[in-house]
Amino acid sequence: MASPRQRAARLRYVQYAVLVLVLLAIALLADWDQLKRAFWDWEVVKAQFPDVITIALKNTIIYTACGFAFGLVLGLVLALMRLSSVGPYRWIATGVIELFRGLPALVVFIALSVGFNLAFPDRQIPFGNLGIVTLALGLVGGAYMAETIRAGIQAVPKGQMEAARSLGMSHSRAMISVVVPQAFRIILPPLTNELILLTKDSSLVYILGLALEDYELTKFGREGMNTAANLTPIIVIGLCYLLITVPLSIVVRRMESRAERAR
Amino acid sequence: MTTHPTPDGATDRSAAAIDVQDLHKSFGDNEVLKGIDFHVGHGQVVCVIGPSGSGKSTLLRCVNMLETPTSGRIFVEGDEITDRDADVDKLRSRIGMVFQQFNLFPHMTVLRNLTIAQQKVKGRKKDEAVEVARANLAKVGLAEKESAYPAHLSGGQSQRVAIARALSMSPDMMLFDEPTSALDPELVGDVLAVMKDLASEGMTMMVVTHEMGFAREVGDNLVFMDDGVIVEEGDPRHVLGDPQHERTQSFLSKVL
Repeated sequence: MASPRQRAARLRYVQYAVLVLVLLAIALLADWDQLKRAFWDWEVVKAQFPDVITIALKNTIIYTACGFAFGLVLGLVLALMRLSSVGPYRWIATGVIELFRGLPALVVFIALSVGFNLAFPDRQIPFGNLGIVTLALGLVGGAYMAETIRAGIQAVPKGQMEAARSLGMSHSRAMISVVVPQAFRIILPPLTNELILLTKDSSLVYILGLALEDYELTKFGREGMNTAANLTPIIVIGLCYLLITVPLSIVVRRMESRAERAR
Repeated sequence: MTTHPTPDGATDRSAAAIDVQDLHKSFGDNEVLKGIDFHVGHGQVVCVIGPSGSGKSTLLRCVNMLETPTSGRIFVEGDEITDRDADVDKLRSRIGMVFQQFNLFPHMTVLRNLTIAQQKVKGRKKDEAVEVARANLAKVGLAEKESAYPAHLSGGQSQRVAIARALSMSPDMMLFDEPTSALDPELVGDVLAVMKDLASEGMTMMVVTHEMGFAREVGDNLVFMDDGVIVEEGDPRHVLGDPQHERTQSFLSKVL
């Protein structure tokens, strides 16, 4: 009769054995030359540079940064409206949040680009495509961030507002100087997650029809794939996305563990 | 101008620093204050004691309108803070408040905790605000902590910084809401010593407390509250030593 410890050890060996068998099967069964030709053709890889960095990666970062910046401001305004004592402000904010949180980002892009031209035929959204991306990503991101920011503001202990008011600060002064800065420290991790989501949503800009110099990573990769009849460009731009998002994830994890220690 | 309470606690009301008239406060159906009349003279230290739920903290918080009274009037230095048209922010800046939970701003250094309201509310220049702040930190014995963050202070240090923060606004009076109740017993003394100094400098103080020793030694007047009314008030030595009312006797027998 095996002791519980021996049984646990045996179970562990079985798990290792399964893992090794699966890896072996993949290694032996796959046609490596075929895979390499389809997914990582060095000639195609080289052809992606430098444009994948100087145009595509750069544009993805610009679109995301603009959308996030606008979304952050909008989110803060919506959050404060949600917490307002004026009823209509709360209703409007709730409506805007529910609308843009509920719609697919792609729909917002289409509605903005096509809808604006139909509504105002003789006007244009300033800054062209960048303006539309900023608005669309900002609206979608802002709707999500508004709820995060509101939760952050409500997580600041009530005594902080009372202490600020007891020193003679007005409600808005206390919000600006005391409550909101603390709220943002609480919600930095979820906000960074939102930034990662927006990075990926920025790919939806393709719907606008772009000139080469406006390509971001996904559009660039798709064009490259069509030209080369090969998946390599997609792999390259996939790695570029990870180049943005993995460092952000690491930063979030650091902040979370630091917040954990501070408790 | 200083007024002295007569043995029955009556004072010239026109000279009161805090004057509360027929104050009622309800939270929903729960009436917490059931008609409070009382006043604090200039330079007086009034301690408010009573069982939890008696309404003593609510009364204190009504004085600077952190709670809005349901009815009644409150005058602070002759200005009615309960007036609909009163500039409550401005009046509050003349009333220092110290909380049980300190409520320091954790994202600012100690010095910034003391200067921000001076600059944003009182419009003092930075140099002047820093000077005032340093003087008050020295007064509470924490001059060396000005660049520390609140998370690195002990409870007693936090509460002394909170007192210094309130004093930096150069208030006419100070409200204390159970200032030592959240402290470890060995840290209570430091805070009480600072409050004693303040009292001896002639600061008008209203103190909600469980520290009977402080009330006896420093208080000019003692108010015992129970169930939303003032049951008994007068010279602390008389009230503590020879309580007249049965409810006061029963409360004091439990805490003394």
